[in-house]
Amino acid sequence: MHGVVFPLVLFFASLVGLAVALLLLGQFCGPRRVTDVKRMPYESGMDPIHPTRRRFDVRFSLVAIAFLIFDVELLFLYPWAVVFAGGAQPELPSGAAAAGRPPLVFAGGMVFLVLLVLGFVYDWRKGVFRWR
Amino acid sequence: MYLVIESLIKIVVIIGGLMGAAAYLVLVERRVAAWIQDRRGPNRVGIPLTEIRLFGLGQPIADGVKFIFKEEFVPGHVDRLLYVAAPMVMFIAAIVLFAAIPFGTVDLGIAGWAPINLVVAPGLDVGIIYIFAVSSIAVYGVLLGSWASNNKYAFFGGVRSAAQLISYEIPLGVAILGVVLATGSLRLEAIVEAQAATGVWNVATQPLGLLVFLVASFAESGRLPFDLAESEQELVGGFHTEYSGIKLMMYLVAEYLHMIAGSFLIVLLFFGGWHFWGLTGDGPVAGIGVALVRIAVFLAKVLAVILFFMIARWSWPRFRFDQLMGLAWKVMLPLGLVNLVAVAVWIEYLRTPLVAAGLPEGLVMAVAGWLLLGVAGLAATAAAPSARDNRPDRSLVARYRDAREAR
Repeated sequence: MHGVVFPLVLFFASLVGLAVALLLLGQFCGPRRVTDVKRMPYESGMDPIHPTRRRFDVRFSLVAIAFLIFDVELLFLYPWAVVFAGGAQPELPSGAAAAGRPPLVFAGGMVFLVLLVLGFVYDWRKGVFRWR
Repeated sequence: MYLVIESLIKIVVIIGGLMGAAAYLVLVERRVAAWIQDRRGPNRVGIPLTEIRLFGLGQPIADGVKFIFKEEFVPGHVDRLLYVAAPMVMFIAAIVLFAAIPFGTVDLGIAGWAPINLVVAPGLDVGIIYIFAVSSIAVYGVLLGSWASNNKYAFFGGVRSAAQLISYEIPLGVAILGVVLATGSLRLEAIVEAQAATGVWNVATQPLGLLVFLVASFAESGRLPFDLAESEQELVGGFHTEYSGIKLMMYLVAEYLHMIAGSFLIVLLFFGGWHFWGLTGDGPVAGIGVALVRIAVFLAKVLAVILFFMIARWSWPRFRFDQLMGLAWKVMLPLGLVNLVAVAVWIEYLRTPLVAAGLPEGLVMAVAGWLLLGVAGLAATAAAPSARDNRPDRSLVARYRDAREAR
């Protein structure tokens, strides 16, 4: 475990170092002439008209919620896929390791997928994915 | 200690290689674009202070230097902490993903040395989940940057981009699941070795999965058919409108690295990684000569996929936003689920009797896979939500005709 995590931490640390170094390089090498116009938000040369942080379309939030559901369900399916294909052998309650594929794993996965598809159809019928 | 040295060498090679590749692929892309549009492209920058042009090979270096020496101002209306953090998040997340990309295992033949696994994090059992998780962090970079910029163009670009990235992550995950089902492992090495051992690449057996994965990785990298996030004509630069200098470069490099990562994953999952028939052998461990051939084959395949990305960029117009979301949720997600269920049914019910009947497994799988692709394509065309949305509104046409006839 140590040998797996350590290179990742080292990689991450060196990348943080690289990113900070690049930012500092940009800070020190570039010219610095601040004007009022540069400090304004860019709106194609017009004067800004109202604050940016106002309400926006609720459909983006709907998509985010739908994404959360499907993404978490996908994460459940990854271990299922490995067990189903015989890559991992879970212990049976009796203590003996399962020979080959554990029973009912296909049916269990399909029931899960049917529930997922039911939710998907409900979302679709409710118009979550309609964009006008 | 050996672990530290080995890891450091790998890290330096992969970061240096990626930075160089990103810089020079920009040049390649500009030359490809010029070739498609019948122009010359950047061909003048060579060695400074001489007349030697070297086909424009100096261009990426000149671009990099210019990025560093440009003024990098922070506009007055931004949220400073997030404004600085966002490009760093995106840049780091784009590179840290390559920790799980395997280049094969080499046996140097020195007594007492174990075979070296050419991957930054060897022994990572959940390589695919790691890549999947890290690539999602790009959404944070986009959203933080757009929110911190406090600019309307950046905000709309960021919200659009976030919706696009999270929508296409689901078809991406479903397409990967099909490959995981066929292999039974989340390690990318194991997936490549399984393809090499049978000699049948996943592209032959799961073309539908490849289609879904390809479209989703195009969208994840924000390339042209799906570059709604920064559609220049409407949103200036999208979420990086307010960025300049080296921070802008970090965003642009990160986007380029997403494309490179997508190409690596396509090759690993569907095109057999380092394997090529009769050229690279098919065992997991190779001697140094074969290992070099394997790396060359792997990189050649990746380059081919990247060239495909570049040509596709100049071949299709941009999608409209409703078409983009419709394609993710109404077309790609159902197709991905169909692929997943088909692979599961194949393993559970069809594989054992067909192999027992003496049929060659790879051939039957390939035929079944391409049949499935054809049927799914026909079904999607028959349902065709996006094509139907594109037709002119019948009632409007009728009203126009009536008005004209009344005149």
